[in-house]
Amino acid sequence: MSIERAWSTTGVALLVLAPVTAFAGSAINERSAADPAGQVEISNTAGSVVVTGWNRNEVEVTGELGDGSERLEFGTAGKVTRIKVILPKKSYGVDGSDLIVKVPAGSSLSVNTVSADVRVRGVGGAQRLQSVSADIGTEASTEDVECKTVSGDVTVAGNGTRGLLTITTVSGDANVTDAAGEVNANTVSGNFNLGLRETTRSRLRSTSGDLTLASRPVADSRFDIESISGDVRLDLAGPPDAEFDVSSFNGEIRNCIGPKPVRTSEYAPGRELRFREGQGSARIRIKTLNGDISVCRK
Amino acid sequence: MTPTERDATRRLDEALGRLPRSVDPAQDLWPVIEARLQSGERRSRARWAWQAAAAVLLVVGSSVLTASLMKRDEARVAGSREAAAGVVEVTPAAYGPAYAPDPGYLAARQQLAKMLESRVERLPPSARHKLVANLAEIRRATAEINAALAVQPGDPLLEELLVNAYQDELAVLASVNDLTGANGAVASPDGKRVQL
Repeated sequence: MSIERAWSTTGVALLVLAPVTAFAGSAINERSAADPAGQVEISNTAGSVVVTGWNRNEVEVTGELGDGSERLEFGTAGKVTRIKVILPKKSYGVDGSDLIVKVPAGSSLSVNTVSADVRVRGVGGAQRLQSVSADIGTEASTEDVECKTVSGDVTVAGNGTRGLLTITTVSGDANVTDAAGEVNANTVSGNFNLGLRETTRSRLRSTSGDLTLASRPVADSRFDIESISGDVRLDLAGPPDAEFDVSSFNGEIRNCIGPKPVRTSEYAPGRELRFREGQGSARIRIKTLNGDISVCRK
Repeated sequence: MTPTERDATRRLDEALGRLPRSVDPAQDLWPVIEARLQSGERRSRARWAWQAAAAVLLVVGSSVLTASLMKRDEARVAGSREAAAGVVEVTPAAYGPAYAPDPGYLAARQQLAKMLESRVERLPPSARHKLVANLAEIRRATAEINAALAVQPGDPLLEELLVNAYQDELAVLASVNDLTGANGAVASPDGKRVQL
């Protein structure tokens, strides 16, 4: 059942929402029973959000409500628990709130902030983490993880199990370690450094940021990497079994594995590199306008 | 070679042999040529100097303008509508000289830009500056690809990069709209306080 349907069928009357009036600058201490695989939604404009998964079927919120905040909305309806810092409608200069949230380890998580840093640990469900200018740090496993910022940096630590990881920034950098499965990333000017294990799919795009990908492509995997003026570096672990299609309009191509690149035309600046290693099971495609490309073994 | 051809060749050789080794011009033209060369060189130097001066003026002028705009923006965080207008400025899109963009795409782009104009003031100043710079970066990239396409029309790599660059711009506009729509308030420049 979708979250929206759960809300509509439960109805406003059945909401177990218990708005908690907290005084300015006051400590937060809230707790509620929760579904072990429920959904937790958190919204906090400024300050910080720290979420930890634990082995209890309840959600706990502690921390401090920022000076000038109206209240903390906290409540559970069906499978959904909502935690939201409510700000007064007509005021100026409210302090940020620091939320420390503990959720059942199997929960799905949605966090929205403007400038509140987000840290997530030990949460096994799907995660959708968004911030405008703050940093996001989380762990990835089998469920989908999506991180989105304008200028904040993103850090994701995987454990080698396959899942789906999506990172989008405008100018924020990203650093990923030990993620596996499908990894997609998009940035304008952020520098992305992705250290992956077994990768089935990866689609990376950048306008001017550099993309560094270290990975072990599995059979039938697909890599599609594209940059306008950022450099692309691909380091492959293990013996490559892939077909390569690499080209750049103005950038240099460095290949440590197979043949040297060739010019696409006698009169144009483009270079391309097409070759196969092993059976050519995986497909690796890299395109740039001005960015240099490097393909090597890890 | 027939006897007739041999005879013709011999006559041609004799005629060539009678020609003088060099011919002096009716008058000495070198002083005139030299004067014109020196004059052209002077004009070329003058043009180079003007171009250099214009470049310096452009760099200094744009730097001063940028610095003054940034200073004004920092001083007037609340008055960010002017910056918003700069952020969402939509430059004409093109796919090289031979193609026109799809009207549906243009409409979507215009709509997203308009939506962003009303929301961009919610961004913290640092994020707003970065957004402005990065949208400009995308537009610079599309202009560069378009220029390359004008030289090499139909290049599949350039066409692919251009289409994707336009998609990236849409994605950034949509993403920022999404992020700013999720929170009605904006954090203060230091990120510790909230402005409503």
